[in-house]
Amino acid sequence: MINAVLVFNNNGQPRLTKFYTQLDTQTQQSLIAQIYHLVAQRPASACNFLPLPPLLSQQGSSSSSSAGPSDAPTQITYRTYATLSFIMISTSTESPLALIDLIQVFVESLDRMFENVCELDLIFGYETMHAVLSEMIVGGVVVETNTEKIIAGVRSQEGTTGKRRAVQAASTSLGRGALPGLGAWR
Amino acid sequence: MARSASASIVGSCSVGGFEKSLYDLIKGLRNHKGAEDEYIQNALRECKAEVKSQDMDKKATALLKLIYLEMFGYDMSWAAFNVLEVMSSAKYLQKRVGYLGAVQSFRPDTEVLMLATNMLKKDIVSPNIPALSLPLATLPHIITPSLSMSLLPDILSRLSHSSPVVRKKTIVTLYRISLVYPEALKLAWPRIKDHLMDDQEDASVTTAAINVVCELGWRRPHDFLPLAPRLFELLVDSGNNWMAIKIIKLFATLTPLEPRLTRKLLRPLTNIIQTTSAMSLLYECINGIIQGGILDGEDNLQERDEVASLCVGKLRGMIVIDSDPNLKYVALLALNRIVTTHPSLVSVQQDVIMECLDDADISIRLQALELAAGMVTSDTLQEVVNRLVEQLRFAPLSASADPSGVADEDFEEKNGPASTETAKVLPNDYRTEVVHRILDICSQSNYSEVEDFEWYVNILVQLVGLLPLAEMDDYWNAPQSGQSQESSSVKTSAAFRIGSEIRNIAVRVKGVRMEACRAAESLLLIDNRPLLFPVGSSVGEDVLGPVSWVVGEYAEYLRSPSRTLQSLIDGGNVSLPAKTLQLFLQAIPKVFIQANRDCESRDSWKSEMSLLLARVVEFLESVAAHPDLDVQERAIEFLEVLRLGADALRSDTETSEVPFFLSSVIPSLFMGLELKPVALNAQKKVVLSASLRLDEPFNDNLPGLFDRLDGSMSDIHSHGGLQDFYYVAASSPPALANKPIHDLSAASYLDNSYQNVLAGSGAQKAERRERYQNDPFYIASLGGNNSSGTSTPGVPHEGGLDIDNIPIIDLKLEDGAKGLASREPEVRRHQSRRMEVAADETLGVEDLSSSPRGNAGAGSNRRGLLQVDSSTLERSEYQQAQSQSQSQPGLISVGDDGDREMKEAMQNVEQVRLRMQRASERIGLEGTPAEGELVKKKKKSKKAAKATVLDGGEPEDKEKKKRRKKRTSEHEPQR
Repeated sequence: MINAVLVFNNNGQPRLTKFYTQLDTQTQQSLIAQIYHLVAQRPASACNFLPLPPLLSQQGSSSSSSAGPSDAPTQITYRTYATLSFIMISTSTESPLALIDLIQVFVESLDRMFENVCELDLIFGYETMHAVLSEMIVGGVVVETNTEKIIAGVRSQEGTTGKRRAVQAASTSLGRGALPGLGAWR
Repeated sequence: MARSASASIVGSCSVGGFEKSLYDLIKGLRNHKGAEDEYIQNALRECKAEVKSQDMDKKATALLKLIYLEMFGYDMSWAAFNVLEVMSSAKYLQKRVGYLGAVQSFRPDTEVLMLATNMLKKDIVSPNIPALSLPLATLPHIITPSLSMSLLPDILSRLSHSSPVVRKKTIVTLYRISLVYPEALKLAWPRIKDHLMDDQEDASVTTAAINVVCELGWRRPHDFLPLAPRLFELLVDSGNNWMAIKIIKLFATLTPLEPRLTRKLLRPLTNIIQTTSAMSLLYECINGIIQGGILDGEDNLQERDEVASLCVGKLRGMIVIDSDPNLKYVALLALNRIVTTHPSLVSVQQDVIMECLDDADISIRLQALELAAGMVTSDTLQEVVNRLVEQLRFAPLSASADPSGVADEDFEEKNGPASTETAKVLPNDYRTEVVHRILDICSQSNYSEVEDFEWYVNILVQLVGLLPLAEMDDYWNAPQSGQSQESSSVKTSAAFRIGSEIRNIAVRVKGVRMEACRAAESLLLIDNRPLLFPVGSSVGEDVLGPVSWVVGEYAEYLRSPSRTLQSLIDGGNVSLPAKTLQLFLQAIPKVFIQANRDCESRDSWKSEMSLLLARVVEFLESVAAHPDLDVQERAIEFLEVLRLGADALRSDTETSEVPFFLSSVIPSLFMGLELKPVALNAQKKVVLSASLRLDEPFNDNLPGLFDRLDGSMSDIHSHGGLQDFYYVAASSPPALANKPIHDLSAASYLDNSYQNVLAGSGAQKAERRERYQNDPFYIASLGGNNSSGTSTPGVPHEGGLDIDNIPIIDLKLEDGAKGLASREPEVRRHQSRRMEVAADETLGVEDLSSSPRGNAGAGSNRRGLLQVDSSTLERSEYQQAQSQSQSQPGLISVGDDGDREMKEAMQNVEQVRLRMQRASERIGLEGTPAEGELVKKKKKSKKAAKATVLDGGEPEDKEKKKRRKKRTSEHEPQR
């Protein structure tokens, strides 16, 4: 299963955190920091799999190849789009390559929701981002991979309000477009 | 409940007209750069007021802001009750905020959850699909056993909802519910299975069901074997790659149980491998074939070999042809799985794997490294290790054109998070990992793959220079240094491991003892130290400890004992850590003896010797007041011994011979049998005599003794005697332990007849050991004992027992010989080689459970971060088979961890209670179908709960009620 989905920007500021098990805020933050540290070190050409951060690797089998499924999260898949990195932490019952595709589905769905999504959209529309994610993954299990259906699910919840809000927010004073420079915003 | 609470709110805290929206908050954050924390604290204060507002809009907005800030680590657990209030809002978008708040902020200790039961019940049966999806998606995050119990009937009913969206989410929610409440699976599984088997079912519902089965599958594969035909059908016909991947994953856990499945799967899987264009599916097919053990069978060898080579060929293609690093990585991952069963197939691919060792991507390198370690044989070992060492040495060269080796250091310092250029820098943890791997590769199965030990010693010395300055990134060290060091003994510092390897080689491989000793000497020499161990690194301290032991123990092989001694007693050593210094102190007298021996032959021996002696004494004096007690003790002991030596030298003015004390007495302290390697847990196997009581105080009246210290000595003695007489006589043999020490030795001397030695009681052995420990002149008799096969330390320990001496004390017992014999063939196999490697000596059979590796295994069972505990399922299904006949509360498998055991116990209590409840139902409803029982259950459970409350038998429920009452009464006055 998928244990957590994280999104943060190039400066390590979280944009979405979703843990499918209950975890205290402190640990969540240090886990995010550790994973950001790992992601930040990686060149663009590197593969999309991270070694386990210390918080996760402490709990036993350090080598990811130790065969046989277990409850312990063993894979961290990430993918970086412009200023944002999407991370999925999962157990070995998920296929690593399929997770990369799943991140792609997530981003495509967000793109459809927000029409040319950028970091700013996600900052202001983070409720919608949560809604998109919960159409895809429930309780750590993937329930939908079809973009159409995901969009339809979110639309049935909020119509186009999410989009409208985000655009409104973004266009009133902050402006859209200068994507790379927006990294440092909260 | 929450609804009524929110309705009764009395406006106590209205904010003066203006409050921020989430948008304002985010904008404000941006405008307060630098003073963000202050701004956030203000915002939190405002939110705190707003969230208590009567206006639901305001409340929801405040909550949304809180959730946003929670993402950055600002605690909002205090708002749990307000979350419930917003969850109960009638407006969907507000409700959604409330549910999001619950997902993001509720923790296992959030108590208000039980107030939400009714609201959740209502939302689950809502006619509005989005509203009904909210609890379904939220429950997996917040579910508790009691909550599942009351919500289960309503959730089950959602399985027959007309919308596939609801059905698929319900299936997943039921899975998560059964993790905390295994009973749920019993009721839910038949219905989930119906959905899975139904051809007409919506594809996404089927996929969700498959995903759930895949999660459940590995826990109880037997239960899912009957599904195989349907799974097979879905795999071949569906054309949905997402689902196919999951099905293959599932099959990988099923095939080991059903050989016929293997035969059936082989063809379609090969077919997919050959035709599919989806790399993920291709990879999972190969992976499934490997993990499902399809390659392992006996029959049909030819076909299997074909498949195996097809797989390996495809994997090779993924590495070589595609330049996609992801494919490279997963291919190595798969090869890593194959290598354990088919090493020969993998070692054919050595060329590509070795290339991956130099890949720019560290993840790929680490995988290749692991693979290299797995496939290494005595033929390839040197090549692989040399390559790794080269890689470390010329790290910057591999990517950039920088020709100077000096650049090495610069690169290490530059290493930081900002390095986004192509990976020319080797991160420190990677360097450390490589060193660990090299040591792993070489030392595996008692050095059976190493052919040339001189080469190995040489490599070890090189590695010392290649270690990164700081063991790990400081970044990691800061938050959790203490834990990691304690938790895994495997991860001892690489530097210490190198030192220990040198020591191991010196002890085990006689043939290269001289080389090992000289290597140790070269590392130790003070002139080399600044070069090898630059300032600020901890490498030196860790290496020097074990190395100094080698130098001391095998001092006869030293190139220049006097230079070594100079290095050992260098004034700078005082600043070394106590652990290292202890070992230094132990080595000093040994090397000193050797240095003496060297100068005996010369004419000027006397002046040289007294000079040496003076220097050693000077050094020992400098550490005699060391803050570490162990160091202090050893220093003082040797100091006294050597002062005696100095006296002897001074008083013997007329003779031209070295004083007896210096030439024989001191050396005899350190001469004895050769030390041999002893298995880690051998010490534990020495049976302690039942009469040995280590915990019993020598004298119960110790304070009294101290009180009388002013009094006369005879007084004390008579008192002690009295104590013994009254308190000890009853337990005759162990009485010894209670007697004053001088009595003890006398008494045991009396006991010490030959018969007793032969009887070999542990207590006597222990006594004897204790005695000899203080008596350096018992060496000869010790040797005798040893040949007769009793357990005695081969070396008389001086009071300061050297920690590092422990593993190499000769502990040969009768069984020890047997243990050695069993190892014999292994050693003999390599006898064609020049070197013989001494194996660990141990007593009896190697006890795996007590070995550190065994412990590590147990440790990994501990529930870790982010981990969902699905082990309950295993047990629940087991009980499912049993519960029909009778309830068996005793069926608890023993947990391996304290808190899990606790959890299990709690669950068990819960289950037993349920079963009793159900049993009472069954009396009335014999033969009702499961569904009927379910509807009844709701009523019954309430009644039963009430009944138990009445007779006070169920404190838990009672307390719940109480707490609920308390909660509401707590909150009402506030509003």
